Amino acid sequence: MKRKAMSIIKLLFFLINMVQAGGISLFIYMTTKKICEDDQARVFLGQVDAIPKYPEMIVWSALLLIALLGCDMLIRETRKEQSGKIIAITLGIDLVCSIVLVWILDFNYNGVILLVFANILVFVNDTKIKYLLIGIATLGYLVADYDLISVSNHLFSVRDYIQYYNETQQQLLFSVYNILGSLNIMIFILYCINIINEQRNTIQEVNEWSRQLQYANDRLKEYNEMTEKMAETRERNRVAREIHDTLGHTLTGVSAGVDACIALVDIDPGQTKKQLEVIAKAVRGGIKDVRSSVSELRADALEHFQLDEAISDMIAEMNSLAGVEVVFHSEVKPFRFSEDEENVVYRIIQEGITNALRHGKATRIQIDARKIDGVLHLTIQDNGCGCKEIKKGFGTKHMKERVAMLGGSIHFSGENGFLIDARIPIRWGEEYD
Amino acid sequence: MIQAAAALLLLAGMYFWSRPQAQTQELEFGMFTGSNWGVENADAFVIIDRAIERFEESHPGVTVRYTSGIEKKDYSEWCAKRLLEGEMPDVFMVLDTDFNQYCSLGILQELNTFMELDPEFQSEEIFQTAMDIGKGMEEIQYALPYEVVPTMLFVNKTLLRQEGIEMPQQDWIWDDFLEICRKVTKDTDGDGRIDQFGTYNYSWQDAMYTSGGSAFDNEKQNVDFSNQYVIESVKFMKELLALNQGENVTQEDFDAGKVAFMPLTFAEYRTYKTYPYKIKKYSNFQWDCTTFPGRTHGENISKVDALLIGINHDSTEKELAWEFLKELVCGYESQLDIFRYSQGVSVLESVARSEKAASIIQEDMDKEEQVISGELLCDVIEHGTITPKYYQYETYEQMISLANTEITEIFEKNKNIESSMKIFQREIRKYLNQ
Repeated sequence: MKRKAMSIIKLLFFLINMVQAGGISLFIYMTTKKICEDDQARVFLGQVDAIPKYPEMIVWSALLLIALLGCDMLIRETRKEQSGKIIAITLGIDLVCSIVLVWILDFNYNGVILLVFANILVFVNDTKIKYLLIGIATLGYLVADYDLISVSNHLFSVRDYIQYYNETQQQLLFSVYNILGSLNIMIFILYCINIINEQRNTIQEVNEWSRQLQYANDRLKEYNEMTEKMAETRERNRVAREIHDTLGHTLTGVSAGVDACIALVDIDPGQTKKQLEVIAKAVRGGIKDVRSSVSELRADALEHFQLDEAISDMIAEMNSLAGVEVVFHSEVKPFRFSEDEENVVYRIIQEGITNALRHGKATRIQIDARKIDGVLHLTIQDNGCGCKEIKKGFGTKHMKERVAMLGGSIHFSGENGFLIDARIPIRWGEEYD
Repeated sequence: MIQAAAALLLLAGMYFWSRPQAQTQELEFGMFTGSNWGVENADAFVIIDRAIERFEESHPGVTVRYTSGIEKKDYSEWCAKRLLEGEMPDVFMVLDTDFNQYCSLGILQELNTFMELDPEFQSEEIFQTAMDIGKGMEEIQYALPYEVVPTMLFVNKTLLRQEGIEMPQQDWIWDDFLEICRKVTKDTDGDGRIDQFGTYNYSWQDAMYTSGGSAFDNEKQNVDFSNQYVIESVKFMKELLALNQGENVTQEDFDAGKVAFMPLTFAEYRTYKTYPYKIKKYSNFQWDCTTFPGRTHGENISKVDALLIGINHDSTEKELAWEFLKELVCGYESQLDIFRYSQGVSVLESVARSEKAASIIQEDMDKEEQVISGELLCDVIEHGTITPKYYQYETYEQMISLANTEITEIFEKNKNIESSMKIFQREIRKYLNQ
């Protein structure tokens, strides 16, 4: 809407200038013809200070300059991409055209200076320069005034030509001349007001944007705090998981070992003692694991051994401890991955054994590791009672989380014993020799 | 698309600006037909045609054209129209009535630079008085004189012989003049009314020119009708007129050979001294021309007029225009043609003094007529006075007209000359300040 109003003002401004400049030159030309037809040339010459040298030329030049100004304005207004260079060039041409126009019309008309400066104003962003330009335009308008310049220079005057006509016609012509002049100034003022308004709107817009930005910033801070809290929670969960994995595993083993001891103590105390020593060893390992977890370290076994060794240790421990047969078979040689991958593999095996013993009362656990299409397929199958429904216990959930962290998937099946089927995409690299 | 249109417009504009240069090597000369001096002249074209022919010969590829058939009375309007329409000729004749106007409108090209830079041009060769006529304010030469015409005093030799009076000397004075007039002013047929007179058309201005001063002060660019020179002139006029005892002298009296003296331009002198006009006028008595009487010896000054030619300030061919102007003004043949085909005097002193010129003048005259000597002619021109340049022509004319009315009234009502002229001077000031 605003743009439309501005365009109308611009068009009006241009039209008034066109009528004024074209009108003056045409009027002078036609009056000259009339004076010559009336044989009043000598008398007329006696009444003027100066005459235009080439009236016909002035008409054509004025029309040409107006057309140039119009084209210039059209180019500037209709171009979609407003490149600064083109605007500067067109404004420069405008300025030159207007000065030449005022000059060839012998300062009888200077409104076009206002038009050009108004156009320049629109494309100047700096407020200070804007006011400076308004100042220069006003000054230029005042200085380029006929009455002022004609004091020291011989200039032809439209008034002389108007005075050639009779009283009534003179009044009419003077009115038109003066009204057009006043209209021009009025339009200029309107134009300036509009520009200032537009600028004020821009400032308001910028303020609004700034406010919105502040709001978004605040929101971002809140999110940040929330994320921090979430990270804390995740960390807490991790520690809890770690405790569950390590301590739970140890305690399950201990519990099974103690059960065995209870059954054995009356039959063979010596054997029981041995058994208890094994249990004590497991408990001590558990204590170490807990410590590691607390200090966010890796499973103790993995700290000191390679993954396959650690798994072998764990299986040997289970075999000797719980009276179950755990078989580990790996087609992947060497069975070594990145630290985080090893952690996950270790924990899944550990958890799988724990679950098989705790929930499935299994006596045999088969662990297989295969590499298919770069993905590690890890299956843990026991011969326990399984379960019809997979309860959402700590174990499975944590396993899922861990595998998901590496971008893999894990499936559980309790139909024929219990089956854990994990697929972990491994980043196979040279570093694992 | 729009850019293309703009470029096209620009090109059109450039073509437009460069258009006047396309018509190369053609000069237009603005002139009127007939004499500048109010006498008949059938050879107006011949003189210019000959000059153009010579100029075109010495400047190959150049043509000079002019519009023929413009009479002098229409010439000012014709020029004004051409001026308004921006089609002023490159070189043109300038009338006295237009000269000041053209100077202030900036129509005439200043010639000082051309004059200084052209080694061929020697301004000393031209009568200084005539050069002054072409000067505007501040000694700027706006036009050059082409033909000069002094005013002289017609003397009815037959009348003087009848009255037993000798032809006056060239350095005669007012007293001699008054004495002769007193002698010839009489009633010849005895009807009680004076029918033979001393002067006809002799005005207070003619007296003023010979008074040793003028109402117009060229240095102060001022006018003063109450100074001693004007007052003395008016007093002298009063004495002269008193001789007629209220009788009005008419052209008929003069034509009938009843008047001894009358101011006459050299152009008129030549016209009426030569065939065919000499049989029309002043044929029943012998007459000659001499200088005006001075208030004191040596102040035998009279008015000098010149036909001016100037160059258009906006001419595209100024150099060529200057060359043509030079051909007209300084060309020996062109200036000699003035004696052959016109009625004025050459502006070149050497030509005016030459025997060739004298013989040309003599050719058309009767054998027994004695021709004005070149010496006298040059003397009159050299010491001549010109109309002031610091007033617009109309203003000057108006002042002279007002003075005429005032002085006539002084004579008619027998008013005190000194006080009346003082009052009149105040009125003139008021008029000028309007």
